[in-house]
Amino acid sequence: MPPTRHDHDALAPAIARGDAEAFAAWLAFGEPIVRRSLTSFAARVDLEAVIQETLLRLWQVAPRFVPDGEVNGLLRLALRIGRNLAISEVRRLHGVAASLEDAERELPVDTGADARPDPLLRAAIVDCSERLPERPKLALHARCESAGADDDKTLAARLGMTLNTFLQNFTRARRMLAECLEQRGVELPGGLGR
Amino acid sequence: MSDRPEAGPEENSEEDRLIAEVVSAHRPRSGDGQLRYHPAWADLSAAGRERAHAVTIGVRAAEAALDPEGLSSTSRLVLARIRGRTP
Repeated sequence: MPPTRHDHDALAPAIARGDAEAFAAWLAFGEPIVRRSLTSFAARVDLEAVIQETLLRLWQVAPRFVPDGEVNGLLRLALRIGRNLAISEVRRLHGVAASLEDAERELPVDTGADARPDPLLRAAIVDCSERLPERPKLALHARCESAGADDDKTLAARLGMTLNTFLQNFTRARRMLAECLEQRGVELPGGLGR
Repeated sequence: MSDRPEAGPEENSEEDRLIAEVVSAHRPRSGDGQLRYHPAWADLSAAGRERAHAVTIGVRAAEAALDPEGLSSTSRLVLARIRGRTP
């Protein structure tokens, strides 16, 4: 089935006015696409740091965004910010002209596709996460609830675990989630790893 | 409460541990505008970093599915920062 096509530029005026709720709606759509677009840089830069900075910069420049009439201009702007930031990081860390090689390996990005989990996949993930054993489930949910605000040492202490035990439980949670989804014939983008 | 992880047949490798750390959305921010990398990222091989990225894509999709607004921990962190709730 072809991906559903959406234009999320309707949110741009509200985002430009500083409406964080509108930006939240855009992030649910745009973040996974930005992340996947930077895959060719994964071995050379910490993409989580790059993506967070990309999304913060997008919010900062959104008031000056001018639609060009094509679909998802705000997403294309985010992709450019992310790519330029990743190239800058490659140069800063490695001091080489590797950026050209990366540009040549640029992944085609469908800026109209919706990368969010569909309702059936979402229901499967929720059900499989409910079936996790207690402590892996606690580790997984602690990460979700903290949303990056706390480091793992803090989360582990909150759950009465050592850091190593917390990380083992998190790893078990993602593997068991992957197995559960696989048994249902569904797979997450990226696959969750084994 | 026991400190032991749930019983399982496999022992996590060092790479698994590093990937579990890097998959977190937690990244300290610097005051000088420079990006701060997760310390564990530097300890991964190139293949390990690519694997961590693939795992992160899946984990963020799972987080979004479990979130009432469909937001991953990365998106939640960015929103908290623009709202001034997280440094």
